[in-house]
Amino acid sequence: MRRPHLLYSDLLQTARSTSLEHVLEAFETDLHRYTAEASSKRTFLHAGVVGWRGRAIVIPGRSLSGKTTLVREMLRLGATYYSDEFAVVDDSGRVHPFARPLGIREEDSYAQAPCSAEKFGAATGVGPLSVGMTVICEYQKEAHWQPIPLSQGQGALELLSNSIAIRSQPHQTFARVHELARQTMFFRGPRGDAHETAEQILNLSRKRARRETA
Amino acid sequence: MKEREFPKARMDCLTRQFEDEVLIYDPIREEGHCLNSTAAAVWKQCDGESDPSQMAEALSRQLSVRVDRQVVQLALEQLAHAHVLEEPEASVKAFSRRTAIRRIGIAAAIALPLVTSIVAPLPAHAASCVHNLQPCASNGQCCSGLCLLNRCVGG
Repeated sequence: MRRPHLLYSDLLQTARSTSLEHVLEAFETDLHRYTAEASSKRTFLHAGVVGWRGRAIVIPGRSLSGKTTLVREMLRLGATYYSDEFAVVDDSGRVHPFARPLGIREEDSYAQAPCSAEKFGAATGVGPLSVGMTVICEYQKEAHWQPIPLSQGQGALELLSNSIAIRSQPHQTFARVHELARQTMFFRGPRGDAHETAEQILNLSRKRARRETA
Repeated sequence: MKEREFPKARMDCLTRQFEDEVLIYDPIREEGHCLNSTAAAVWKQCDGESDPSQMAEALSRQLSVRVDRQVVQLALEQLAHAHVLEEPEASVKAFSRRTAIRRIGIAAAIALPLVTSIVAPLPAHAASCVHNLQPCASNGQCCSGLCLLNRCVGG
């Protein structure tokens, strides 16, 4: 019988498996959560992020809401990869990259396989971006994305509900969410096909950018 | 000790203004609230010294439209329910939003008050996790919080 690999956090055993890969995945998950919760200089929101024409598009959402799929399709359309897991927000409300490999779910499975952004022909962001658009959407079969604008207050509430450290660091989290929300437009609506929605989101962002410069 | 007679906004919450909305985070109850323009305007009037009629008058002057006392009552009811008023809460006569809309009429000059609330997520709930029957090595990886025989279960 194979001896299991063990992972300890101080004296506490936190993972055990005969698969080294699974134990390392558990270690990575723990490390990401710890970083997200303990960081005092940045606020981590559970969200996908891409860069598009010099601004960030943020897609907050819980596990299985379809963030990664949408991010992947935007990368295929030319967006820059920032993250499929966390929007990392600084004091001025700008978003920094957290460009871990995308966790693409395998067909008909919840299991994730890591993929690099380059595989989709995308570059990875290196510097912080201000947030142009925040899209709150969940996958619904056969839905067509028909977003409605959301007020900044309602949008900020959505961001709070996806913040990792709001309970442990309420002051910093609240202030940074406010800064981010002040500079972005929020849209909400269920989405169907990821590619079609990605195109719509990027087009909407492009139109808004044109309107701003006009 | 005399109980407070009139509603007073809690001062121990974090607040931010967005144009005419107010965002509130209550670090004690770990809840977030968004007050729309009318609820925010009423909340700002909650100084502990004004009754709903006086608040309605003050708001009418401030907004240059007639604000019905029942609009204020409806806002106070929602603010009390969200626990953003100091205890003991003012004795707010409860009536449903539907009843209020009927009484106030659909042609009200201002938006009906609305308080939207969330419960702050636990860190584990606000992060990606492994779903049932998928391989795992620790409880913390699983959405259900239970990794049994290297598979996520339960939840």
